[in-house]
Amino acid sequence: MVKEATEKVIPNPFVPYPATLKSVIDLTPDVKLFTLELDRGEDEFDYKPGQFAFVSAFGVGECPLGLTSAAHRKEGLQFAVRRVGSVTNALHQLEPGAKTGVRGPFGNFFPVDDYNGKNIIIIGGGIGFAPLRPVINTILDNRDGYADILILNGARTPQDLCFAAEFDDWAKSPRTKLELTVDAGDENWNGRVALIPDVVAELEPSPKDAIAIICGPPIMIRFTLTKLKQLGFANEQIVTTLEGKMKCGLGKCFRCNVGDKYVCRDGPVFTFEQISQFIEQF
Amino acid sequence: MGADFTQQIRDKAKELLEKGTVECVIGYETGSDGVSARPAFIHDPAEVDRLVFDNTCSHNLVKYLLNKKGKPTAVVVKGCDSRAVNLLLSEKQIERNQAFIIGVVCPSVVEWGWNKRSEQIQKRCDWCRQHTPVVYDFLVGEPVTEEPPPDFADVAEMEAKTTEERAAFWREQAERCLRCYACRQACPGCYCIDCFVEELDPEWVGIRIAPQENLMWNTIRAFHLGGRCISCNECERVCPVNIPLSLLNRKLEQEVLSLFDYRAGMSDDTIAPLITFRKDDKLGIGE
Amino acid sequence: MTKILGKKELESWLSSIMKDRTLVAPKHVDDLTLFSPVQSVEEIAFNYENTNLSPKELFFPRTDTLFTVERKDSEMEITPAVIEQETVIFGIRPCDAWGIATLDGPYLDDPADSLWAQHRAKTTMIGLACTKPAPQCFCTSMGSAPNDSSNVDILLTEVDEGYAVETVTAKGERLLQGVELKESDVKPSVPSCDTDVPAEGIVEATQKVFDDPYWSRLADRCIHCNICAYVCPTCYCFDVRDRTDRGKIERIRTWESCQSKGFTRIAGGYDPRADKGTRLRQRFCHKLLYFPQQFGPLGCVGCGRCVTACPVNIDIREIISDLQELGAKVGQGSN
Repeated sequence: MVKEATEKVIPNPFVPYPATLKSVIDLTPDVKLFTLELDRGEDEFDYKPGQFAFVSAFGVGECPLGLTSAAHRKEGLQFAVRRVGSVTNALHQLEPGAKTGVRGPFGNFFPVDDYNGKNIIIIGGGIGFAPLRPVINTILDNRDGYADILILNGARTPQDLCFAAEFDDWAKSPRTKLELTVDAGDENWNGRVALIPDVVAELEPSPKDAIAIICGPPIMIRFTLTKLKQLGFANEQIVTTLEGKMKCGLGKCFRCNVGDKYVCRDGPVFTFEQISQFIEQF
Repeated sequence: MGADFTQQIRDKAKELLEKGTVECVIGYETGSDGVSARPAFIHDPAEVDRLVFDNTCSHNLVKYLLNKKGKPTAVVVKGCDSRAVNLLLSEKQIERNQAFIIGVVCPSVVEWGWNKRSEQIQKRCDWCRQHTPVVYDFLVGEPVTEEPPPDFADVAEMEAKTTEERAAFWREQAERCLRCYACRQACPGCYCIDCFVEELDPEWVGIRIAPQENLMWNTIRAFHLGGRCISCNECERVCPVNIPLSLLNRKLEQEVLSLFDYRAGMSDDTIAPLITFRKDDKLGIGE
Repeated sequence: MTKILGKKELESWLSSIMKDRTLVAPKHVDDLTLFSPVQSVEEIAFNYENTNLSPKELFFPRTDTLFTVERKDSEMEITPAVIEQETVIFGIRPCDAWGIATLDGPYLDDPADSLWAQHRAKTTMIGLACTKPAPQCFCTSMGSAPNDSSNVDILLTEVDEGYAVETVTAKGERLLQGVELKESDVKPSVPSCDTDVPAEGIVEATQKVFDDPYWSRLADRCIHCNICAYVCPTCYCFDVRDRTDRGKIERIRTWESCQSKGFTRIAGGYDPRADKGTRLRQRFCHKLLYFPQQFGPLGCVGCGRCVTACPVNIDIREIISDLQELGAKVGQGSN
């Protein structure tokens, strides 16, 4: 319980909503899918694909994580957590029933309503697929609102492909193609072994009435962007979600800025047209 | 000293840059107050007249060589600074053939601040027994004969205080510390890519800026420099809240001298005693 | 007519304030002058140009607890920090008060920072006009003045008979209740702050010079400590982390600076500002470009502390001048 704020005291925006870890599923050797539930009904919040929240590992700290669930599916607050730093390491030690905290939702979102009627190309690498999953699920749950869908999910190895349990659902959706690729296969892998940008060049998606949404490591984005531009995609047609070191999510610690833009408030979702206008280029 | 040292440094810098022996000369120039010096990076032989040498040139420029790895660079060093060159050479942080050392026989530096220049010699110069650089490619000034070894009177004065007095003294200093890390950033011996204080997993100290953590920070840093500190005292000079950091370093310097008869940075092929072990080491126990 | 407070009356007024509030005033501590809580008027330093550290600490402490968490049975009890103590700051200079008001921009921007707002509500500022600008001061160039009363609750200006009193806010008026003021026809005057720093149009100039190698060259000598940000009245970046002490967890916030290596490094290792030049550029573009674009005022009040404290003489006044010069050349085809 949180002490009731008096009228005179402005609510503290750093205080998280108490939450409980409901389930943990291993997605890859270093990524777990966490499902959280807020402890108090009045804390429930709506959120859209692309938004993120801060998740607390009390005693260590909190970190920003993309919301990988789609709010309308009411499947709880889901986060794909890669064990990569001190907070995510602490989160990975938690078992169902553990108490955590959630602050959110933060940031802008993928304006999927604006993409109605268009061909959607979704390209994700590794853990970068986490913010793309709610985009896919939102679009597939409103399938008639969109034209053809191409999903390209890549990872270093077959074990690192995220959300394998959903591949069948995605693949069997009408006018939807799911392409998987890995940088290096193993003895059980019969699929494609190629880098994502090369697969994009091979598949040659058309830029006509299309939106391409890409997310992954900076180097993958850079090369994929080049391929898409070669295929004729304009900057406004290519959308991504940026990462930044964050401590507040409120536009106050001034750590996540790219020039005068805050990844936490003006982003994390940006078109490449917007990114090309940034005064600071990373 | 004075104009002559300045001219010699300018002439040498011009020669090195024109011949292409180095890409950059790191020296000193006059700061924005017109009174005290600041580090200068000269890439163009036409700009060597920016270089000066005077008794406010207390900055230890050797640390900048770590930003110039792979690029031949000249650096102006005083006696204390030259020991830092040896320290970094012995710890394999710089290559001897990438650095051209312009040694200056140090006239001693004075207490100074921005827009303030006194005639008071800094106490580090009173302690110093190395006014002549120990390593150089070119020497400005005549080597001087040194006086007898230092006596650590400052350490003795602190040790004469009671435990309670010392605890109160250091607590007060720890209360002032801001964890700006200027001491670490100015120190040529502090070059760890990830300092222990920034390690989060495990968290050795914690980010809280409070006496308990601040004291941990300063004492552990002093231990990491035990047997490695070359007494340039830049850490104390740069501290914005005037914490007498030299006391910590001098105490450990005294210990290392008495236990191992060792002074840091006197040659480029010896390793500090606290990071090595020899069978004939005096441990100070049971002796 | 000018209202005057005599020196003795000032001392008894401050003594009475100390009884039920924390009085913070400049205090000589060895060679430093620092804002500290004082228990008697004798502790107060009256003869100083400005303090070594800015009073932003009284609103944005170097280390602070955002909330505490305690496990109670199977629940987590989260308790946000509440500021209960009333504070009065005596002797704050107009430049520093301008700095506090400037930080209202980011900190009160929705969602407002609760702790900052509480400190602001609970603090009354008695400003003291400058009698002698220091060589590093340039407040006038940045929009303030040695006797600028716009951001304090009361402004005192030294005159022969004591202090001329200007009551600025209702809070200031309440603090002065019961204090006897004399009337005089003396006109308080302060020396002007003459250092001229060409700040007009600096936002546009900074924007033009963004990609110039100037930043890399300047960063050569920067040692990337945190001194400039910590002494500055308008730097406000912070770090957040949990701390556990005997079972009680605190989420704490501390000062941090964009200059430190690793400030923007994300877990996993990628750091968009690994380069020294980009980090140095970040600080000055924040102050001279992004901050005014977002909030209006420049992120520098001209107190000059960074100028005196920087170990390698990175001088913002020089930088402003350089940026203007370089900015003027951009678009003229010469570069």
